[in-house]
Formats: sequence, C-alpha cells, structure tokens
Amino acid sequence: MKPSPTRMLRRVLLYALLIGATLLAIAPLLWMTSTAFKPEGEIQQYPPHWIPQTPTLENFQYVLTKFAFGRWGLNSLLAALVSTALVLLLDSLAAYAFARLEFRGSQLLYAIVLSMLMVPIQVTIVPLYLEFAAVRLIDTLAAVLLPTTANVTGIFILRQFFRNIPREFEEAARIDGATPFQIWWRIMLPLSRPALMSVAIITFISSWNNFLWPLVVSYSDASRTLPVGIGQFFGGASGASGSAPQFGPVMAAALLATVPAIIVFLILQPYFVRGIAMSGLKG
Amino acid sequence: MTPSRKKSRGTLTPYLFVLPYLIAFTLFRFGPAIAGFLISLTNWNILGTPSIVGLKNYQLLLSDPQFRISLINTAYFMLLTAPPLVLLGLLLALLVDQQLHGRVIARTAIFMPYVVMSTVVGVIWLWVFNKESGILNYYLSLVGIRPIAWLTNTDTAMPGVSIATLWWTVGFNMIIFLAGLQDVPQELEDAARVDGANELAVFRHVTLPLLAPATFVVVMLTLINTFQVFDQIYVMTGGGPSLATLTIIQYLYNQAFESHVLGYGSAVAYIALAVLVALALIQRRVLPEGEA
Repeated sequence: MKPSPTRMLRRVLLYALLIGATLLAIAPLLWMTSTAFKPEGEIQQYPPHWIPQTPTLENFQYVLTKFAFGRWGLNSLLAALVSTALVLLLDSLAAYAFARLEFRGSQLLYAIVLSMLMVPIQVTIVPLYLEFAAVRLIDTLAAVLLPTTANVTGIFILRQFFRNIPREFEEAARIDGATPFQIWWRIMLPLSRPALMSVAIITFISSWNNFLWPLVVSYSDASRTLPVGIGQFFGGASGASGSAPQFGPVMAAALLATVPAIIVFLILQPYFVRGIAMSGLKG
Repeated sequence: MTPSRKKSRGTLTPYLFVLPYLIAFTLFRFGPAIAGFLISLTNWNILGTPSIVGLKNYQLLLSDPQFRISLINTAYFMLLTAPPLVLLGLLLALLVDQQLHGRVIARTAIFMPYVVMSTVVGVIWLWVFNKESGILNYYLSLVGIRPIAWLTNTDTAMPGVSIATLWWTVGFNMIIFLAGLQDVPQELEDAARVDGANELAVFRHVTLPLLAPATFVVVMLTLINTFQVFDQIYVMTGGGPSLATLTIIQYLYNQAFESHVLGYGSAVAYIALAVLVALALIQRRVLPEGEA
C-alpha cells in the first residue's frame, strides 16, 4: 500500500523538526570549535565563515602559556575522581543499611537525609565557608571536594536499587556464615553495577561542572578548577579578557574544557541516560 | 549460632554502615543548613566579633531594593525558562521517540550541551550574542533585523541568558520524559487507536496521564534548578546591565563574598530556601505525583 499524502507530509515535517533540533543543539558547539582555530583578524571578519580560512593553533598556545590551564584541569580531574570514589563508598555502605538492615532510628535518619534534597549547596555556602575557614582549609582541593560527599541522590538511587535485589541472594550467603560487610562487598555491590555506574557518572559530572562553591573557596591556581578558571578569566564581566574579549583564546579554552567531557559522554552514554532516568524516576 | 548472639551482633553493625556517610552528611549538609539560620540571626562580618541581632537582617531585607530586584528577576527568569524547558523537553522526547532514521543521533546531539560545563556555556553564548561579530546577529541581519546588543541591553539581557539556559538543559528534561515514554505500554495506545481515537486524543488521554511521574519530576527539578540559577549569568552578565539579570543566588554571593556581610547573606539564603520549600509544597498540591 502506498503511504497517503498526509502521512508523507507528516513524515517530512517530523524529519524537518528532527534535523532542525539537532542543528540548533550542535551549532553553538561547532561555532566554538570554528572560532578556536581562527586568527584574531578572521574572527572579526564579516560575513563570518564556519570553516576557518587560515586555521591556527595560536589561541590554544595563548591559553596554555598565559594561564595555569593544565593545573586547573588536573585539579578538576582529581577533585571529581576523589569525590566520586568517596561518594560510591559512603553511599553504598549507608544505602545498604537503609535498604536492608534493621536498626533503631533508621526511618528517622533516612527521612532527615531525604529532607536535605530540597536544600541545595547554594544556600549553605556561608556556613560551609566559615567551617572550612575555621580548620584553615580554604584554597585547598579538600575544601573543593569534601562537601560533594554529603550527597543525597546517590543514597536515594542505591537504596532503591538494593531493595529490588531478591533477598534470597543474601540469605544463602548468611547461612554460609557471611557477615553483613561480606554480603555488601561480595553480593550487593557486584549485583548493583549499573546503579553504581550511574551514581558514579552523576557524581563525576556534577563535581566536574561544580562552580559556585569552588568559586567561593579557591583563591589561587593551587585549588582552582576548570569551571572557576574559565568563569573568572574568560567571562564577560571580569578578568583578563577585559572590556573587549578576544574570543579566539576564550573559545580555545572552552573547547579544551569541553572535549574530554564530550568524549566521556559519547563512550558512557547509556549509563548517563540511565543515571538521569534513575535519579529522576526513582529507579 | 544462637538467635540472641546473632541479634546482639546485628545491633551495632548497621550503625557502622551509616556512620561514615552520616559524618559527611552532618558536617557538610545538615550542620550547615542549621548553622545558616543561626548565622542569619547575627551581624557576622569578615572582621570583628559577631553579635546576635535577632530578626534584624530579615527586617532589613524587606526594605532592601536590590533584594527585591533580585527576587523579581529570579521570577522573571523562571517565567522565561521553566515553561519552555518543560514543554520543549516533552515535545523533543515525543519527537525522538518516533520511528525515524537518525533519531539516536538527534537524541545524542540534543542532550550533548548538558555535559558542557556551565561557565563554558556562558562564554560560548557571550560570543554567539556578541553585538558586532556574533553569529546570531549575523543571521538576524540576513532577515533584516538590525544588530541587537543582547547582553548589554537591559531589555534583552534576561531573554539572552534564558536562551542560553534553554539550550543547555532542555536535553536533560527530554531524557527524563523519554524514560517515562518507554514505560508507556504500546498496547494501550494501540487499543485507543483501534477504538477510533485520533493521535491527539491518544496523547491527551493515554500517554500524558501515564507520563505523570516523569512530568512531576521534570517540573520539580526545573523549578529548583531555574530558581538557583547563578553560573551562566555570572559569566555572561555578572548580574548586569544595571542589575537587569541580578538573581537571588547572585545577590547572596555578592552580599556574603564581595560585601562580606555574612549574617545578611545568610538571611538571603534562608529566604531562598523558604521559597524553594514553598515551591515544592505548591507543586505537590497542584501536580499529581503519579505512582513511581
């Protein structure tokens, strides 16, 4: 049977929308990439070209030599890795207890933990700052990453996942004399790899992108992360770019900060999607 | 093993499991959330010894014109971003859920901006919106629109940062809706079609009700996140021009970390928190949570 004209029209329309949305989504990223490889003269050229006519690496050279860009990247990576490892450890331990072990006050504790879902770090930066100032940890990576360990979403996702694991697995192990720690380590964790992976990715990305708190506690390149470095030195309202920003170096910095995240995203995409769906839809 | 021995061992172990997390939680989340309120009752300054001033900070806030501007601007930003974020998120999810070639590529592309860090989003759009050489004004000039000073004009600055925000986060909502759509049984939609319902009726009476849990989550996260906007605005306009994009978190940051009035800043934070809680409560009333 031949498709009817209205069906054909509908399909054409849907494809037009699909292509349009895709182009709008990637155009700013392509424009960033294009600008990063243009010399200053070509950037101001009118009409603009999408493909650089005299491609150059001078913008990257400028960014990498004038700023401690590598150091910011390393700080970001370290903070994100340590934060992710700590969150996985602390959250999986606590979530297992909340999901499976019976103890006095467990309901109340869990309710208190969940209540903090509505309290973002934005509204606690003042007391947090005073806390880290009191122990003289301002301008250290520890200050940047430690608050991320008090994560609520991870507890929520993992508890939900643990609860859905059939009890028979644990009971068999318990009869064989396994302790709760052995059950957590040998049974619950291996069975929960997808959930752990999702928590890891959510934590890593939110730490990697974290801005306001690191902005408050980093004063120097020793603890400055990529988002903070870019925000402070390449933004419109501040920093080295001055009143007439040179967009070549700015876009080179933006590209350098973005490429690793996009590569990781493309490789781990299924986990990203599942992680977001899990944090959103309660497993 | 006797039952009693097993039980006595079982009483301490669970606490060992939760203890490490609870220490972090208390030090970095719960404690600060409580301490924030106490600090808001003082005139804490970076220098000098703080003393308790009761609710004076809150009283001052009531008559603080900049605070009022920041509240109005935040509401304006939410109005400009939240409805399109939810609606476009849903429409895009429906679009990439169709049996079309290249839908996986489209889905990946639309979500991609979300993995770009907020400050990079800010600098990218600073350049896109540039008045003289920005790509947006170039394309607008092709259809006869004169160059717009997007981020340096008080009328267009907020729409500008809103467009950037929409581009950055709409893919996130799309993914949640998409996960919700995958839970909608195909048979139900087909049954409605067999009964003669048109596509719109199927969507309205079958798909949309089954999407309630996803919608609830999307609306909640969108409200929370748009209310807390800071990063991209800090980079794109710094709250300007003439306070046109000064939002509440930016005002909190300015007070606490630029003017160094920590007690006053904490009061701003607590009002922000009260608004967040109120938003959540209102949403719970208005939107059905569905069963998730």
